[in-house]
Amino acid sequence: MQEHIRQEHVFVEDDRNGVYITDITGTRFIDCYSSASTYNLGRRNELLIASLKEAIFKTDQGNFPMISEQKALLAKRICEFVPGPTECVLYGVTRGESIDAACKLARGATGRPELVTVDGGYYGDTGFALSLSEHPLKSDFGELIPDIIVVPFGDYEAAESAISQNTAAFIFEPVQAENHCRTVETGYIKHIRTICDKTSTCLIFDESQTGLGRTGKKFAFERFGIYPDILVIGEAMTGGIFPMTAIAFTTKLKQFFDIHPLIHLSTFAGHDVGCMIAIAALDEYEKLSPWENAAEKGTKIMNELSPLISSDHRIKYLTGLGLLISITFESSELADRFCLHAKNNGILLCNGIVDDKCCLLRPSFLITEEETGFIIKALRPALSEL
Amino acid sequence: MDASSGKMFYDAFTSAGCFNVGRMNESVIRALDEAADKYDMGSVGFSSIPKIELTKLLANLAPGDLNNVILCASGGDACACAMKLARAATGRNEIITMFKAYHGHEGFSLSGNGKDYYKHLFEPLMPGFKLAPFNDLQAVRKIASKETAAIIIEPVQGEAGIYVSAPDFIKGLRELCNNLGILLILDEVQTGFGRTGKLWASEHFGVLPDIMFIAKSLSGGLYPNAAVIFREDGLAAQYVAKNPLFHRSFSGGSDLGCMVSIRVLDFVIKNRLWENSADMGNYFKAGLIKLWNENPRIIKEVRGLGLMIGIEYQYEFVGALMSECLSRQGIWAIFSGNAPQVMRFQVPLTVTRKEIDDILDKIRLAVKSLRKYLLVLLPLSHIKFIRRMLDNVHIQIITFNLTRDIEEFFTETLNLKKV
Repeated sequence: MQEHIRQEHVFVEDDRNGVYITDITGTRFIDCYSSASTYNLGRRNELLIASLKEAIFKTDQGNFPMISEQKALLAKRICEFVPGPTECVLYGVTRGESIDAACKLARGATGRPELVTVDGGYYGDTGFALSLSEHPLKSDFGELIPDIIVVPFGDYEAAESAISQNTAAFIFEPVQAENHCRTVETGYIKHIRTICDKTSTCLIFDESQTGLGRTGKKFAFERFGIYPDILVIGEAMTGGIFPMTAIAFTTKLKQFFDIHPLIHLSTFAGHDVGCMIAIAALDEYEKLSPWENAAEKGTKIMNELSPLISSDHRIKYLTGLGLLISITFESSELADRFCLHAKNNGILLCNGIVDDKCCLLRPSFLITEEETGFIIKALRPALSEL
Repeated sequence: MDASSGKMFYDAFTSAGCFNVGRMNESVIRALDEAADKYDMGSVGFSSIPKIELTKLLANLAPGDLNNVILCASGGDACACAMKLARAATGRNEIITMFKAYHGHEGFSLSGNGKDYYKHLFEPLMPGFKLAPFNDLQAVRKIASKETAAIIIEPVQGEAGIYVSAPDFIKGLRELCNNLGILLILDEVQTGFGRTGKLWASEHFGVLPDIMFIAKSLSGGLYPNAAVIFREDGLAAQYVAKNPLFHRSFSGGSDLGCMVSIRVLDFVIKNRLWENSADMGNYFKAGLIKLWNENPRIIKEVRGLGLMIGIEYQYEFVGALMSECLSRQGIWAIFSGNAPQVMRFQVPLTVTRKEIDDILDKIRLAVKSLRKYLLVLLPLSHIKFIRRMLDNVHIQIITFNLTRDIEEFFTETLNLKKV
């Protein structure tokens, strides 16, 4: 872990373009970190940079307690973009803040205190998000949000007995990115949806990393054939050009905000400039359907790495969906060394926050055949040099 | 500008002090335009030249030996970072905040919020938070102990209704913190960057905090950014040295945001905005005090520091009514979130004397129309249930919207007849 931290700290990012970033010494890397699944459309996506440049000459932050044309247009765009019954939008600045907003909405709307989640999750570093997460330093921060019940991942019975008439929400990541991309079988989440319906509990999906196509579908919830009541969308919403996140939720839940206006505020959320960029980004996502390429290239990487990994006893497993892939080692030391070797071979990746024995591969969705080949070619010696 | 009517307004709210350098500041826009040729947000956990340059600049500008910086995404996020740092560094759980204090809406900052409205529907929140009345040192002394990790105050309370910290209070807190090993945290989100007539509000009191956090104006109102700044020696610095990634802000401290913040700080320094804030603040306040003397039945007090000024009305419902009257005169100003009877004026620090004169004229006209409403409303407000209705924000909003709809209807009908 220490070695990894040092590695992150000595890395001084300079130029960035598409799938590439260059450090301050001029060495070029393929960015397989993407700032924790933010740069889905590549670094400094030309179209999005152009939309930023256009927006800043037209408007600024706006007034946070007031509606604006930009805020309204983006909300409409998000509702069109997200499949299912989530037809209302509240903006945030970071993924953690949006998780906090989702938990508050669930508690406020249901009038119930309990929040149920699974072990091994990571939702962010703000108050509610951290309370729900399995963070290595969590115990340093004192008593956090009470009435949070953590059940074993994928355990049907545990979830069923934990969710009751006292539960405000069940919070879940379709793929636990920071925990070696652990995912559940479809039956589990369908079962959770049924329990939530029976008990009128909100189902919250954190798609900060999986959303907008990373797993090969527009949103990972589509894989399960169910809809969440609250969906958390991460910074990938602006393609990494502007700090902005959002929650999308049902009309029924919106009644809470109608009765209690201005009860949850955020100065920078719903920034008019950010809204204009997010609209351009969502249009681009829709136009390119880059999740198709994410599915194709992800499968290719998995297929190519699979034989290497099964022949190496130091590697525990290869997991993931689309372009959210994890290679999990026997120890964090091995994972750190692999990150370092990969870097020496021109590939930039980081280990997971929850499981530091895993190294995560999450490049841009616009990655080409040639670049995918380069990643595979570079990771081979990185593994053999371990 | 109001998008639907095209009417221009003076921005006297500035999103609670986000636009210290003015709306659409050309120099700041240019900085972002240029930065976008090279940068994007950057990567959480990685370093970059913009991040290094901004942290160096902040370390130079922050008071005393507050030379260590963690970049964050928003005021609430920075508050969470500061509270986590205090708890982790001291190994203690308790945090003392002030009644009516406002530090944000995420889980940590909400737990320390001083108004029930924002909290009670989301409870239970974090245990270990204690509240004390602002400017009451004895009360803080009573609840502070060696279990306390931090005491957090806004040097001038914003949402609470523009209350300036008494020098003895803030100095007393410093002494209390020293004696009990508590970290003193100053929330300079609204008061920083010259808003109160000094670069940092703490300079008015000659008190050095252990940790301070900033946001709003650091962004220039153009690109979100925030920061936590703490002393280079001491418990906080020791903890961060061991756990540099203890708080990940993801989109906070982005490269583009840092380039914007650097230009904002350059603009503040080059134009010595705190001096204009002090001068114009005094001039504006004098004008408002004159208005107070002319209207003692409506205005209870005028107070503030620099260009962070509040008018407290005699009645709670006047807050929303005055917002309405001001907006009709072309001034966008709102009442304090945690004190509806207080109107806040936080105009950009670039404001000129001529503009202040114009704003004062418009406020005078607004008060004049307010008096007409009060002729009817004041006698009615003595009836208890009517008073409750008048104080109700929902009823106020519905009434104002209805009035405007009716006006619009008649104006349109008259115009049609003319045609």
